[in-house]
Amino acid sequence: MIPRYQRILFWSLIAGILLMTAFLLRGCEQAHRRLAAPNDFTPIAAPTSTSTEDVTLYIANDAEASITPATESISLPQTPTLRARALVEHLLAAYADPGSAHPLQGGPAVDDVFILPDPQPAAGDQPGQLAVVNLRGAFVNNHPSGIQVEALTIDSIIGTLHAALPEITAIRFLVDGQPHDTLSGHADLLRTYPATDTTTKPMPPIETK
Amino acid sequence: MTLLARNLAVCLFVALLTGITVAQQPRTIIFLDPAHGGPDPGAHLPNDLLEKNFTLAFATRLRAQLSTSGFAVISTRDADPAVPFTTDQRAEIANHAHPAACLILHATDSGSGVHIITSALTPTQDDPHAPIPWNTAQSASIPQSLTLANEIGLALQRAKLPVILSRASIRPVDNLTCPALAIEIAPLGAGDDQTPITDANYQQNIAKAIATALINWRTRQQQAAAAPAAAAGGAQK
Repeated sequence: MIPRYQRILFWSLIAGILLMTAFLLRGCEQAHRRLAAPNDFTPIAAPTSTSTEDVTLYIANDAEASITPATESISLPQTPTLRARALVEHLLAAYADPGSAHPLQGGPAVDDVFILPDPQPAAGDQPGQLAVVNLRGAFVNNHPSGIQVEALTIDSIIGTLHAALPEITAIRFLVDGQPHDTLSGHADLLRTYPATDTTTKPMPPIETK
Repeated sequence: MTLLARNLAVCLFVALLTGITVAQQPRTIIFLDPAHGGPDPGAHLPNDLLEKNFTLAFATRLRAQLSTSGFAVISTRDADPAVPFTTDQRAEIANHAHPAACLILHATDSGSGVHIITSALTPTQDDPHAPIPWNTAQSASIPQSLTLANEIGLALQRAKLPVILSRASIRPVDNLTCPALAIEIAPLGAGDDQTPITDANYQQNIAKAIATALINWRTRQQQAAAAPAAAAGGAQK
């Protein structure tokens, strides 16, 4: 004969097991629904046609140590900060393509671009805007090291931003939100660069008398 | 007075004159900065070579070449110190020494040939006695730096070495008050025929060309310094 208290304990444990099973099943169901949500391709908003526009990219070439403007047709957001970020990201992604004349490692390169009123406009100039390009640490760590190759990357970004957003008069660089000495051991990232046309074609040495 | 005593007196007089002349013409100082060092290895070059070791080896080679050509050489490091000078300290050493030329030595795996880089700062033509900000100290010496870059570029070209003259913002070049250049050595050529930067012959040719250019540079500087004095002497007559 089983004592009464043992029967009560047995049925209490069975009830507990059933409750826990129900709880786990419900948890699994919720987790599955949450994970499946991003894969829901049901259209919610009406599609919009994105128009492309011509932009000038300042393309670097390591062998010639040159920067050459090239026009490309791409779609860009209209908000200046997003536009600047998309532009720089597009430019740096182009350098990761096979056969690039200025090969850089692929992957996201820019965290943000902030556009602020220039706190130190050049004397006599209209107050312009300062673009702060916040580069990702991973991009900086994988950038080739050398004075010329780093300077070409900087000049390429400056020229491209200057051409697309002429209201920008100065450009600064951060890495992961912090000031950083150099891009990869050489090019100075602590100074403020004037936004100018950075087209470069090195001249050979000239014979002097 | 015997002939021997007379000869001895003449020799002593000539030696005295030579000594005075040498004392009046101090040797031209060249400042060399083998970049990086200590915990800062610089670029990681092929065959596990670190840029800091290459720049030191090349500086030793260039120093020997320059000393043979009659220059006095100051270097920021002769070994790989545990705590190297910062770029600001390197610039301070150079600015205190008042050298005729400052050469900052670098190496890279990108590009080809020798890259001669001058500061990207805008030249200033202000009052020479006005205070100069530290970050733009080089701006007053840009014209001389460009002339020196051209001189070294020509010498390298004559030595059949590809050379690229360009401009960039790098420390300590921007903080130097002397004619200053960064010399970045890249492999020679491309593909299977590439000569690595470790090639002793390649390094020696570069060092020789730089020494030749600096001799020409020194001669031009001396001629430029002598010309106003000669003109002033002529005007007094």
